[in-house]
Amino acid sequence: MSTFLDYALGGVGPGTVVALLALALVLTWRSTRIVNFAQVGQAMFTTFIALAIQELTGSWVLALAGAMVAGAVLGLFVQVLVLRPVRRSDTSGAIIATFGVLIVLQSLAAMIWGGDPQSFPTPVSNAGIEVGDRVWPISPYDLLILGTAAVLVVALTLLFTRTGVGLAMRATAFNPEVARLSGVRVGRMLGLGWALAGLVGAVAGVLVAPSATLSPNSYDILLVFAFTAAVVGGLDSLVGAVFFGVMTGVILGLVTGYSDSSSAPVAVLVLLAANLWLKPEGFFGRGKARVV
Amino acid sequence: MTVANLLSRISMSRLVVHAPAFIVLWLLLSRLNVALDPLYSYYLALVAMYATAMLGMVILVGLSGQVSLGNGALMAVGGYVFALTSLNWQTVPFFGWPWNGTWSMVFAAIGGLIVGLIIGLLGARLQGPYLAGLTLGIAVGVPAIANRFPDVLGGSQGFKLTVPYPEGGYASEPAQSETTGVSDEAALDEALGLAPGDDGGGSASAVPEPSVDSGDLLTLDDVQGGASAVPEPSVDSGDLLTLDDVQGGASAVPEPSVPPVPSEVAGIPGATDAGASTLDAATGTGLVLEQWQASLAVAVACIAGFVALNLVRGRQGQMWRAVRDDPVAAALVGIAPGATKVSAFVVSSVFAALAGAVFAQILTYVGPGAFGIGLSLSLLVGVILGGRSSLVGAVIGAVLIVGLPEVVSGLAGDRGWPDQVANNVPNLAYGLLLVLVVLAAPGGIVGTAREWWARRRGRPTPS
Repeated sequence: MSTFLDYALGGVGPGTVVALLALALVLTWRSTRIVNFAQVGQAMFTTFIALAIQELTGSWVLALAGAMVAGAVLGLFVQVLVLRPVRRSDTSGAIIATFGVLIVLQSLAAMIWGGDPQSFPTPVSNAGIEVGDRVWPISPYDLLILGTAAVLVVALTLLFTRTGVGLAMRATAFNPEVARLSGVRVGRMLGLGWALAGLVGAVAGVLVAPSATLSPNSYDILLVFAFTAAVVGGLDSLVGAVFFGVMTGVILGLVTGYSDSSSAPVAVLVLLAANLWLKPEGFFGRGKARVV
Repeated sequence: MTVANLLSRISMSRLVVHAPAFIVLWLLLSRLNVALDPLYSYYLALVAMYATAMLGMVILVGLSGQVSLGNGALMAVGGYVFALTSLNWQTVPFFGWPWNGTWSMVFAAIGGLIVGLIIGLLGARLQGPYLAGLTLGIAVGVPAIANRFPDVLGGSQGFKLTVPYPEGGYASEPAQSETTGVSDEAALDEALGLAPGDDGGGSASAVPEPSVDSGDLLTLDDVQGGASAVPEPSVDSGDLLTLDDVQGGASAVPEPSVPPVPSEVAGIPGATDAGASTLDAATGTGLVLEQWQASLAVAVACIAGFVALNLVRGRQGQMWRAVRDDPVAAALVGIAPGATKVSAFVVSSVFAALAGAVFAQILTYVGPGAFGIGLSLSLLVGVILGGRSSLVGAVIGAVLIVGLPEVVSGLAGDRGWPDQVANNVPNLAYGLLLVLVVLAAPGGIVGTAREWWARRRGRPTPS
């Protein structure tokens, strides 16, 4: 039983990162009905920026802040420069364009920082905490991840429920035409949605960097995990994304513990396939996933 | 004469016109292949292989409007089925036919059909992003699947193939390019080790380590376990579209986009000694390995092109387009939208699997590194650049995917750019072009040319 608990708890930290990335995917989906397949590319790129800041100043907090700013700017740029001009009639165009952005970001990162995997320092210890007379699979760093994620989620919730901007964003997501008629600057709201998503993704990128080596395409698999979590959660639901993000991490922890880590991506694929087969609209979603 | 009669007559005439056209095309390309330097035959083989897969992508992405990142993974299905079924072909006759590459190609196509049907049923009826995400997961997960079942699939090392050389002979080496002269077959056989998976260690066996490991959140160390002889990926680039960089230098695996491909095996003892044996003395068909590979790839591509053209110009093509443009209207005239979308997925999977089987024979290797996400992305890039709703666009896309890296690396070499930059210029160009084409010219090269031509002649644009 205690091994089960260890494996499951060990997945919480990584799961929180998956949850944040899933959250970023959901934010872009809600604002523009586009799944941003470049999301992890953006997170990778901003994490490289964070690493540069970290090496320059030695401050992890500054690095995180820099990544957040860079992530927001990058998200806004991608939305305004790439996605906004895509022709409405071209239904596949947006998906293809996000892959174009992914390729550009990965090759740029490889040009600037090289392809060798780089390690990212942790601000606090990444060793398991000893409580009672046993070592738990939760480290101070995991607690930091959880805390940061919690702050982000609470801030986003407050933004969406307690502020005028949040209301305007929700109105835009619900029905852009009606929102525009009510005086909401829809274009700005879409850009803001992508900027927020970029910021959340950037935080996830920095948080995961110490446990995954950082290289131009080392985050690819994270996109699959995050996409799975977002889809199982309903692709429309912030709560669903966070909940199933953490759950995905726990499942990965269990699968890795009882089998080995090569099973983890396979398990996630099975989860995604089963979900698309049995309940394609997800658990917290309201939209219709199956169109024909 | 009834309408149905007339229609069947027209479709008959289509077959009658198309078949000789493709036979002529095949003969021309075969003639060209024999006349070419083996290096160019190698490029011809790659172009034909990519074209086969991209014809399927045109049907899927262009005609049926489904963006799939999984066709690289479906090529892996074809490649692995080919490798696994062909490992002992020389002994087993199958239904009276000697067990050779042909049977394995058939099995590869069947494998692609089955896997494509499963993925299509899961994803094709969903909204676009769901299918793209599912197939992306499969494309990224291919290395993981190969690693998960190392006994069956050879793990990250993959399998080396002995290609069915003409006349059933064996020449398992990735043959030589024009620079290193001729290799000694026996020495190479010994050096490469014909048995799959026995190539641990040694510079010749730098099998690419799939990059999927690095993203693995939980325990990075476990994966590496036994495979410590395998070098870490010293990825100098994003490795999105070309394999070159993943393989870090001395690779036994021929790389799809680098000219001196097989000669990189030069680290193998005996590879360069005694330029004696002529290119193909053993086989007696007058073809060197590259030319044989190209003849295979060209034949498969011509068959695929013939099938694709007849499907696209026919009833099925109309159904695909109808469902893409308006599923409700299509349903009203009696077309089942779900089944139609799934059928597009299955057709493109079969094409991808055939291309994968050809790719395996071009590389004489199957492994997760060869069929990574980069392959899927390059298929997408090629089809979009060439023209996503045109079969000719697929061929142009294939030429671009094979040719552009050569041109760019040549330019970069002339300018003296550092490797780190030069290696990534093609990928950067692909990414930028992909975005630009979607924004400015969604029809790609062929679509834009058609539009221009139609405007010049004052006709409405064909869709």
